[in-house]
Amino acid sequence: MGVGRMGLPLERVSDEALLSGLATGDPEIAVAFVRRFQRAVYGVAVAVVGDPRLAEDVAQQTFERAWRHAQVYDGRRGSVRTWLTAIAHNLAIDAVRARRATPVSPEDLETLVGIVSETPERRALADDAAERVRRAVAALPREQARALVMAGIYGMTAREVAAFEGVPLGTAKTRIRAGTIKVRALLESEETR
Amino acid sequence: MSGMDCERLREEGAELALGILPARERAEAVAHLDRCPDCRAYVERLTAVGDGLLGLLPGAEPPVGFESRVVRTVRPAPDPAPPAAAGPRTRGRRLRERRFRFRAAAAGVATALAFGFGGWAVGTVVEGAPRVVAPAPHVLEAALVSPDRAGNGREVGRIYAHPADATSGHGWVYMSVDLGGGAVADGPVRCLLVRADGSVVPLGSFHVKAGYGYWGAPAPADLAPGTLSGARLVAADGTVLATARFAGAAPLASGPAGAGADERGGAGPAGR
Repeated sequence: MGVGRMGLPLERVSDEALLSGLATGDPEIAVAFVRRFQRAVYGVAVAVVGDPRLAEDVAQQTFERAWRHAQVYDGRRGSVRTWLTAIAHNLAIDAVRARRATPVSPEDLETLVGIVSETPERRALADDAAERVRRAVAALPREQARALVMAGIYGMTAREVAAFEGVPLGTAKTRIRAGTIKVRALLESEETR
Repeated sequence: MSGMDCERLREEGAELALGILPARERAEAVAHLDRCPDCRAYVERLTAVGDGLLGLLPGAEPPVGFESRVVRTVRPAPDPAPPAAAGPRTRGRRLRERRFRFRAAAAGVATALAFGFGGWAVGTVVEGAPRVVAPAPHVLEAALVSPDRAGNGREVGRIYAHPADATSGHGWVYMSVDLGGGAVADGPVRCLLVRADGSVVPLGSFHVKAGYGYWGAPAPADLAPGTLSGARLVAADGTVLATARFAGAAPLASGPAGAGADERGGAGPAGR
């Protein structure tokens, strides 16, 4: 267990402090930082790009960017984990777009919609933020859940969603909007319960 | 300048929050949010959905050796210079770090507005938004250069301009500077855009702290591609702090700025 300059074992240092510590160039801090977040970052990358090798490149770039941009991280807007996954997500979408016209295959989309709306009993009882989102997505009509995953995870525009689903642009926009608003409403109703 | 009303913003708010709104609509939506706190709060609420979706993706173990590869990349090269003799080296490194800082911040802001508007970009356009993707080809980018006493240029910042196209009504300009605390340590700095014909358009002003600041603003409606040649940053007393010239643009009518040059700004022909 490494003990960093912060006077604490690095495993117990807060995410924010660890992120700030990257600027010191201390390799122990860098290792602790990568170790803490690599599963989440690589998980987003591989879900979006599909290919493990490309996902590794994306994950590596994510950490490089986090290190370089650490000073613009703003804790008021979300956790370090959310920030990192947002960076990984952006890079992954770019990587996919540079390589293929359609960001996702119909099979991969179905798999992912299944993953984000899967609510087995043990999960349905859990009450963390992720499970609340999962329950909300599961409660959506299937076409709205698909539209939300295409837009929110694969970064597809409404026009691309329309083409993928073979529906008019207006319908795709409505599905994205309705899905997003319903998930938000369900989250807010659970938060205030 | 074309505008977006609250009704249309509410229609497109989800796409904006998920970061999938095409560039032109996004620019209009961002301009609307800049003046409408209610819609801004609305979009901020929706961004939690996009963040939440990413939070549902299962974690996955990267390939063996990933951790050490990343650490090798981000770790700075060891500095062999002993502390006593490290003056110039340290200064050099500090300058590099500073240069990196403003590049990163400006690129973050520019790309947030040019490409995506997820949860991390909701806020004022002047705040750093680490939406970090490669700049689009149509975004103009240039170094902000400050002349030193010897008459050589020193890069003190970056400026990005996304000019209005025929239909979008307006574009955006973003910049980040680190003046090093010399001419203006703390205080307002004005930004002037320079057209290809040499005329100058005041864009607005922002504050720097310890010489450092970053800022963005809508560009005038008539700033079509090809008409923008460069930009100037000017201190409150009129001193030109830095100039920029966009690649492919004709040389500025006034030529490179000299330290202490007088710039009383405002529309009209450039020239000092």
